Amino acid sequence: MSTLELFKAIQTSDFSRLIGSQNHLFCATAQLFHIAGLILLLASIVLVSIRLLGIGLPNQSLPQLAKATKWLVWTGLGLLTVSGIVIFVPAATNYEPNFFFWSKFILLAAALVVHVTLYRKITTSETPNPLIAKTTAVLSLTLWFSVAFAGRFIGFF
Amino acid sequence: MSLIEFAQLLYDSEMGTALRESIYAFPIVEGLHLIGLAFSFGLLMFIDLRLLGVFLESEPAQELLHSLRPWLLVGFVVTVITGILLFIATATKVILLPVFYIKLGFIVLAGINAVVFELKWGRNVDDWGAQSVLPNSIKYAGLASLVLWSVVIIAGRLIPYLNYE
Repeated sequence: MSTLELFKAIQTSDFSRLIGSQNHLFCATAQLFHIAGLILLLASIVLVSIRLLGIGLPNQSLPQLAKATKWLVWTGLGLLTVSGIVIFVPAATNYEPNFFFWSKFILLAAALVVHVTLYRKITTSETPNPLIAKTTAVLSLTLWFSVAFAGRFIGFF
Repeated sequence: MSLIEFAQLLYDSEMGTALRESIYAFPIVEGLHLIGLAFSFGLLMFIDLRLLGVFLESEPAQELLHSLRPWLLVGFVVTVITGILLFIATATKVILLPVFYIKLGFIVLAGINAVVFELKWGRNVDDWGAQSVLPNSIKYAGLASLVLWSVVIIAGRLIPYLNYE
């Protein structure tokens, strides 16, 4: 089965029809949850990165900061996933040829890998190696911002 | 000059037309508007949650306020500049939407709340910031900020969806 066939099957499924039969404000509501999730996620990454880069929060314990934002990151990702499925399913075949759609998910995979390895590791340390801390922050910010940018681009191409 | 004439002037301007017609410029400005939001609203959200006593409540509020303020303001400047560019590119359409005025109205209300907070509490944060439970009036200011800016974002995100004829 090709990707296009798979996407066609998704789009013609009962679940897709159910979403498609809602009025257009339902779709707008999904977009609101999508941006809410994105803000929770990006803001948390920005906050921890400020500490990792040494450009603010100098007295703040890094593990405590990471712990305080952890549930916001995962709540954000949860909101993004659920609302993303609602946005994707009824128009699946439109996304199939979209370069930025695929770019977004490759970047997302990379961002998640960095998040559960390097980011998770470095944020457990009270006094991380500054070079590794800065590298992690730059990598993490770049990847998550690229995911957001690619996502924003999908609708225009 | 009426509002419609002014909007038409912006819309037809070289910059407005270039932004609208370029393949990449408009989505890049949209993307930057979003990143600006992650810094401005995103960081402000943490300060508001701290004022409410539900985030890093064991940490002094003034460190959060001092450290995040410059980045929050940079984000705010990016959000405003990109917002003006987006307005220039879509002026004639956007001025017809009630939701656009709702957004502007709530920006004004949120701005007033921020200025009042800054004048009344922000300047002497070192006097009260170390307490873990803050006075009620400070909590209300945090809650108001969170609610008002959320409405701004919701109204903003709805702009393309309430464009239905």
